[in-house]
Amino acid sequence: MNKEMLVIGGGIAGIQSSLDLAEMGFKVHLVERLPSIGGKMAQLDKTFPTNDCAI
Amino acid sequence: MLDVGRHPNVELMAYSEVEKIEGTKGNFKATVRRKARYVDENKCTGCGACTEKCPTPVPDAFNEGFSDRKAIYSWFAQGIPSTHVIDPDFCRVLNGKKCGICQKKCEAGAIDFEQTDKIVELDIGAVVVATGYEIFNPEIIPEYRYKDLPNVITAIEFERFLSASGPTSGHIDRPSDIIVHNQIKDLEKKEKKSKKGILRLEEKHGLSSKDFFEKFKNKEYDDKENIKDMEKWAEKYETHLELSRSLTYLKKVSEKFDVAKKLAFIQCVGSRDLRFYPFCSGYCCMHSIKEAIIAHEHENETTSTIFGMDIRAVSKGFEEYKVRGGNNSNISYARGRVAEIINGPKNNPVIIYEDTKEQKVKKEAFDLVILATACAPDKSVKQLSEILDIEINKFGFFKTDSNKPLDTTRKGIFVCGCAHSPMDIPESVAQASSAASRAVQAVTDIQQTVKAS
Repeated sequence: MNKEMLVIGGGIAGIQSSLDLAEMGFKVHLVERLPSIGGKMAQLDKTFPTNDCAI
Repeated sequence: MLDVGRHPNVELMAYSEVEKIEGTKGNFKATVRRKARYVDENKCTGCGACTEKCPTPVPDAFNEGFSDRKAIYSWFAQGIPSTHVIDPDFCRVLNGKKCGICQKKCEAGAIDFEQTDKIVELDIGAVVVATGYEIFNPEIIPEYRYKDLPNVITAIEFERFLSASGPTSGHIDRPSDIIVHNQIKDLEKKEKKSKKGILRLEEKHGLSSKDFFEKFKNKEYDDKENIKDMEKWAEKYETHLELSRSLTYLKKVSEKFDVAKKLAFIQCVGSRDLRFYPFCSGYCCMHSIKEAIIAHEHENETTSTIFGMDIRAVSKGFEEYKVRGGNNSNISYARGRVAEIINGPKNNPVIIYEDTKEQKVKKEAFDLVILATACAPDKSVKQLSEILDIEINKFGFFKTDSNKPLDTTRKGIFVCGCAHSPMDIPESVAQASSAASRAVQAVTDIQQTVKAS
């Protein structure tokens, strides 16, 4: 059985999944269509509810 | 974001697309196309010297087209990886023209116009699909007149206006005012150029344009040999005068411009609307409240009205946040669906709506209208569902099992975030962790079925 993981999409969900998998010791390939990861959340100025910076 | 870029277990494949997935759970073979960046990832330091000198401006999609980037660019300033990319649709060299300035400017020697797409094959145990969503395009709703009226914008566009790194450096300038400012900049450039031409003529003839023009009008040059030159001079002077007049007028108009202080937020744009998406997008109510609170933080006099059928503040702390917005940030909530937006004086959009509390049809002008657009399925969903051989539901999100909510219709492929269904950030994060666990279970063969007792 193969233990490497593929995550498609580098938005907040893809990033969180990749980090969790990587922390559990799995090799992760994170594929993103755009030149940088971050997705829609990177476009947000600040996020609810603490009004902290999104990035 | 930074963590994932640095983690030794994560191979970041940005600017890439999955082309094929074969095999079964535990033994997938994935084909990934790594698109040509035309910049060497190992050499580029992300310094941005190339971007500074690139002569080709392109509307910046990250700022929703309200500012320009260059043909060689990084997606956004803090982007990871910071490797720059050349846009093959706009780069002069890649379109057969002479340029190559970036190549000369790059001290790392990272620019490579000969780079081609690379196909990578990966052996995979499980797949997590987190392709997200797309912002609903409100252009197809005739009554809101998005794109037709300049001061009607979407929530994500407003988000860029609020951002210090956005097109207006965090000032809530009205798009109609930005258009005028851009016109002024254009005219100033043109005026400078025409002034240079006129000065050259004045030097040549030793005469000021004003005096010359008077003489010309009095037909003093009619029988001279160089009448053609004089006619050209007169023509140039006239255009110059016209330019100066328009410029003075626009500058006078722009003196009265102010940042937007009276905001209207319209909820359920595209969602809970049987013409488009019947579902509730979930996050837009809180998004509008957040934007109104931040706008108020920027400018204390800002008042906001949120027009919605109801405000769905359903989660931990959400209702309190809504109340806090009303008490401290000049937000009022108007219950009712907006019927129409029309253009008022000074480019102020006028909202016509029924106030269902007072049972009256009302009209009110605002500086800026922000549309809380629906969470629509991503454009690539259909193509991706074919590549991954998984089904999509009637709305266009990936279909999942009702007993195992993150399992798609193919074993070993899981979905999370807005590719699953509309949801906010905390829910996406929670679901992403769950999907990661499901993926681990798939490759370690832990039995998931609950035995009936």
